[in-house]
Amino acid sequence: MNLVLDNLTKEFGNFTAVDHLNLSMTNGVYGLLGVNGAGKTTLMRMLCTLLKPTGGKIYCDGRDIREIDQTYRGLLGYLPQDFGFYPEFTVRDYLLYISAIKGIRPAVAQKRTGELIERVGLAKAADKKMKKLSGGMKRRAGIAQAILNNPKILILDEPTAGLDPNERIRFRNLISELSEKRLVLLSTHIVPDVEYIANQILLMKDGAIVSQGTLSEILRSMPEKVWNCVVPQEAAHKLAQSCKVSNRKLIGRDAELRIISAEKPCETAVCAEPALEDVFLSYFGERGGSEHGEI
Amino acid sequence: MVRFELKKIISKPVSRIALLVQAAVLCIVCSIAIGNVRYVDENGDTIRGIAAARALREAKMQWSGYMTEELLAGVVEENARISRSDEYLSKDARENEKAYSKKQGFSDIRDLINRAFCGFREYDYYRIDSLTAAEMGSFYERRIDGLTEWLYSDEAVHHFSEAEKRYLIGRYQKLETPLYYEYFGGWEAALQDAPMIIMLTLLIAGFLVYGIFSDEMQLKADSVFFSAKLGRSKAVAAKIRAGFWLITAVYWITLLCYSAVVLTALGFEGAGCAIQLGSSNWKSFYSLSYLQDYLLTVLGGYLGSLFILTLSMLVSAGTHSGILAVTVPFILLFIPEFLRGISALSGILGLLPDQLLQMCTAVQLFNTYQLGSWVVGAAPVILAAYFLLTGMLFPALYRIYRKTEVK
Ligand SMILES: Nc1ncnc2c1ncn2[C@@H]1O[C@H](COP(=O)(O)OP(=O)(O)OP(=O)(O)O)[C@@H](O)[C@H]1O
Ligand SMILES: [Mg+2]
Repeated sequence: MNLVLDNLTKEFGNFTAVDHLNLSMTNGVYGLLGVNGAGKTTLMRMLCTLLKPTGGKIYCDGRDIREIDQTYRGLLGYLPQDFGFYPEFTVRDYLLYISAIKGIRPAVAQKRTGELIERVGLAKAADKKMKKLSGGMKRRAGIAQAILNNPKILILDEPTAGLDPNERIRFRNLISELSEKRLVLLSTHIVPDVEYIANQILLMKDGAIVSQGTLSEILRSMPEKVWNCVVPQEAAHKLAQSCKVSNRKLIGRDAELRIISAEKPCETAVCAEPALEDVFLSYFGERGGSEHGEI
Repeated sequence: MVRFELKKIISKPVSRIALLVQAAVLCIVCSIAIGNVRYVDENGDTIRGIAAARALREAKMQWSGYMTEELLAGVVEENARISRSDEYLSKDARENEKAYSKKQGFSDIRDLINRAFCGFREYDYYRIDSLTAAEMGSFYERRIDGLTEWLYSDEAVHHFSEAEKRYLIGRYQKLETPLYYEYFGGWEAALQDAPMIIMLTLLIAGFLVYGIFSDEMQLKADSVFFSAKLGRSKAVAAKIRAGFWLITAVYWITLLCYSAVVLTALGFEGAGCAIQLGSSNWKSFYSLSYLQDYLLTVLGGYLGSLFILTLSMLVSAGTHSGILAVTVPFILLFIPEFLRGISALSGILGLLPDQLLQMCTAVQLFNTYQLGSWVVGAAPVILAAYFLLTGMLFPALYRIYRKTEVK
């Protein structure tokens, strides 16, 4: 499976949500990381034929997805960011219905639905109405729906948002299991999720991919360095105004800071190993912003 | 897939309520239709409903037969005889009712005589009292003469072209006379309230179908729907099918129940009688039997409902707004009502879809349309036009919905 985005662009009026994006993806897990409004959902919608690009094309194994249309959608599984469903349907009915519109034969659909209900851990809730499920259970029904047709391309838009740590870990493991022999593209703003399961990380900003590679490639390519230092609180405050601070911890009267900066921020600073979170901050963080490092 | 689409609709609380209301409406309209039948018995007491219908049928069947000069003369004489009776002339209301009781058997025929011998646009309930049996020979001619006179009167002379006038007079002349008379109260009553039940069914069915297309967006289920393999082909067709079958089922179940109940209660007799036997149909230029008129009304109602509700679904698919969609039937039903008074618009109003919901009144109107020298009545025109339009709505609905983008 091979997906190629060629100069893909989406404009809403005169606002460009996805900006001349070029990308090639094959099997494996791709983690799409970006701040709110970076254009992740817009990109995914174009990949799912839900939005028509205003420019550029998407090729699946060399063929324009707009031309092979139905065949392409047959390869697709999609879990949208705000996953909507039919509130009065039971989980089983919902999955059977989605099987039908995915063109799965009824006998196969029955079997597949039964299996997936087990697999995502909804066996007890299979005959409950969708509206009565908890957030985590809905999300599990959502993932089940996405993989009903055993898709070659699985697109998950923030699949772990709003889940408790247990659910998140379960979900991550499920996605890892699923990633065999298919292309999985998942978006998130939760950095550890990407760190754990993505083979390839895509950093998206203002509609463009600003950095791409494996975790270690991304860490190496970081344009700034990470520094650790312990300074008096007063000085810490000043540093926070002028640098990106990825962490701040109070130790007595002093503060231990983790600073992202191209230059050594202060005398006592020592260079540290970067983590993905630091890279994220380096690309997307705002200098002296009060949201970072403060509680 | 259609099964799931239907399940989506039926499982909505709104739909459940709509179906309950529909069942209630059916019961109420049936009881209104049956309860409207009144009969005054020989003691002057009014009875209603099924018993009244039975008594009326018995009384009227005594006058059944071809409405020849003799039969009409018989009515005039019988009327005169009762009008001279003590009961009729008495000052006591109950005595008067007793006299009236005796006139019920020929009340339909008396109405027709009144119509025939009044001016074309007038009606005088007591006209028969000043007529003689000898005058009845001109009964059927009076109908044609009345029309001719009216067509050339100031009121109508410019409204109809020469071809239309010729057409209307020709249609009048084509009516086979003498008309055959028998009790037709069941059909008359069923037709009287048919437009009401058809319109109510339409409005209620609007609440069943308005969301078929827009609910996907409202529920945010559209992302999964349109990214599914068949989400832009068969799944859309399944929605259209579900809408079609739902409208069809609700409409026909309601109308079959209504017809069966009302006709069983009030009588199936008179199916073959000309509609001109009904006082309000006397002037109709369509040659139809009561059965034909009834079929026309019910089929027209179905076509009209299908057209309007498909249009509503189209709005639902195009605007993604269920609220707009649910107002479509109301707009199409009530706007023509407001414009009804403006006679300059009658040509256009005669072609609006609400006419389909009341074909039995549409056939009473003088709406004709002319193409070159070819003249037709409104009824076949609207049937053909809306049949084609409805046929075009379905592919349009398919095209519009399958192109939906999720923004
Ligand atoms: N239908 C639309 N019309 C106009 N602008 C839109 C539309 N959809 C998205 N946008 C804009 O495009 C930009 C990208 O939106 P998008 O939803 O793709 O971001 P995102 O990366 O998914 O953000 P989030 O992390 O919050 O989900 C945003 O600025 C948004 O306001
Ligand atoms: Mg998003």
